[in-house]
Amino acid sequence: MSETVPEPLDAIILCYCTMLTVGEFRVACADRCWPLPGKENSGKLCTGCLGDLLYCQERFKADG
Amino acid sequence: MSSKWSALLSATFHEPGYDHLIELVHQRDPDARRRLAALDVSIYDEGGKLLHGWPVETGQEIVDLDARLRDAAVRERVMVVLDARYDETVFPYRPHHYGYLHRRGSSSPPLYYAVGSALGGVPDRLGAATRLNNFDTYLFRRGPFAERCSVMLGNLARFAAAEAQVFAYYGTDRVGHAVQLGPRAHVEVPLAREHAGQALARVETKSLFRLASYVVRRREPAGDLALFDHLFTYFK
Repeated sequence: MSETVPEPLDAIILCYCTMLTVGEFRVACADRCWPLPGKENSGKLCTGCLGDLLYCQERFKADG
Repeated sequence: MSSKWSALLSATFHEPGYDHLIELVHQRDPDARRRLAALDVSIYDEGGKLLHGWPVETGQEIVDLDARLRDAAVRERVMVVLDARYDETVFPYRPHHYGYLHRRGSSSPPLYYAVGSALGGVPDRLGAATRLNNFDTYLFRRGPFAERCSVMLGNLARFAAAEAQVFAYYGTDRVGHAVQLGPRAHVEVPLAREHAGQALARVETKSLFRLASYVVRRREPAGDLALFDHLFTYFK
């Protein structure tokens, strides 16, 4: 398995279906206002980003 | 790349020795304005390391993967990621890509396939998945030639590892393979042609989230691709 995981930079699109960015998700987690209006289905549509969404959720919880 | 557009990320696999063309099909309005705002191609090795990447001019119709990767001295199976941005007002006609594959010097016929999407492509209005397990399947028909089959799986996540299970069905028997993939890593899982005297009839992949997946059949003994297709989702 790959050893290096890149930093979740704010400009990266996290959910390609709802166009949620890492930056939006980071702020929403910090402000405890997740889910953001219109982004409720992030991770649940194509499901391809679900792993990244959970990863970022853990990261931002730890960072906070 | 701007995030004001809609986005779709598709993926395929490339092996050296094959002519491999990707046709970029995207909507044009009557004034011939193209709706593809941007397209980046990136190439990953089996472990998920980025080997090469380039932006594609959106007016381009064809990407010659083999030529590009030969120039970049890529000599292994790689995962090719096509990251598109497009105008959301034409979402139902999102950009999609078709592939042409032919092993150079082979008498085998070329293959045409639709490049599978992995991130995006499901509009919010269609609703969320009720279950988060992804099941894909493929039924094998016995061909006239000796062949070996496999499944190629790629993890399109940027940060998270993925686990998948590949089940091969032989009559009433099932043989399972567990796969773990780091971010952007990929693998080819070989499937035995026979098990306990029964021929391979079906393959199924199961993962928590959507992966890039293709079913592959190669002619023996040369190994030329005789099938390269995405599996079919029957349950999500």
